[in-house]
Amino acid sequence: MTCDNPEHRHCIELFEKLSEYIDQELEPETRRHIEAHVAECLACFACLQTLKQTIALCRQAGNLPVPAAFSRKLHAMLQSTPKPPLP
Amino acid sequence: MTAAPPPNRPKINDNDTELIQAINSGQTEKFPELVRRYEQKLYNFGRRMCGDAVDAEDLVQDTFLNVFRYLKDFRHETKFKNWLYRVAASTCIKKRRRSKFAPERELSLEEFVPGEESGAAAQVPDWAQIPLEKLLNEELVQTLHQAILSLPEPYRLVVVLRDMEGFSTEETAQIMNISGANVKVRLHRARLFLREKLKGYFAHDV
Repeated sequence: MTCDNPEHRHCIELFEKLSEYIDQELEPETRRHIEAHVAECLACFACLQTLKQTIALCRQAGNLPVPAAFSRKLHAMLQSTPKPPLP
Repeated sequence: MTAAPPPNRPKINDNDTELIQAINSGQTEKFPELVRRYEQKLYNFGRRMCGDAVDAEDLVQDTFLNVFRYLKDFRHETKFKNWLYRVAASTCIKKRRRSKFAPERELSLEEFVPGEESGAAAQVPDWAQIPLEKLLNEELVQTLHQAILSLPEPYRLVVVLRDMEGFSTEETAQIMNISGANVKVRLHRARLFLREKLKGYFAHDV
């Protein structure tokens, strides 16, 4: 972790759990532990914020339209494929 | 002595159930409707996993061909969408055993743990504080996509499924046939990898 302070021995341990924290997949006690720590440790807070923004960017990266020519080709190909036997 | 039959798993009803039952009862002319529902999603999944358009199109085509052939075996024990992505992920892995973008290697947590740093490292950088709508542009999206493509495939698949396709940890584990704990480990490392790439991009940008 980016903490320089040797007293912040939990930095590495918490670093491993930041994604689970963001995803709300941690037990309440561990959550509170992380919240208390990042309130005191700016380096860990910065790490958390950059990780959150990375995830947010992934979620908002958007979709491309399917090329119309490919879609037509796909539907035509599937129509010409022999029907599978019924279950 | 005969083994007890496996317990019947509960059937899942979703928006696709009726359509799939119709197709499986012989109305295969309805299959294009199923394709229409998912072709855009699968195409974007393919672009994220493979990079270029031709490979993504191949992935979509092969996936739907497999779905067409094996839909009769779908037992409604999971959402159809999850089963579809399992087929797609499996097709993707078979087609691209070796990525031309990224070597197959393990990402270790240690490589993302910054060393002894101070000052600038202990600050929230500007890019993490700017609202997304102001931050996002075409160049950044391209940078992000390139970063995703440079992830080793097992990590790429996890981050694409979780953070781009919107699947839960449990669903991702089911699609990839790995444990939830493994999904979490890979996801965290993949996110840290992407964060490093973005840090590099913004360090040059500002």
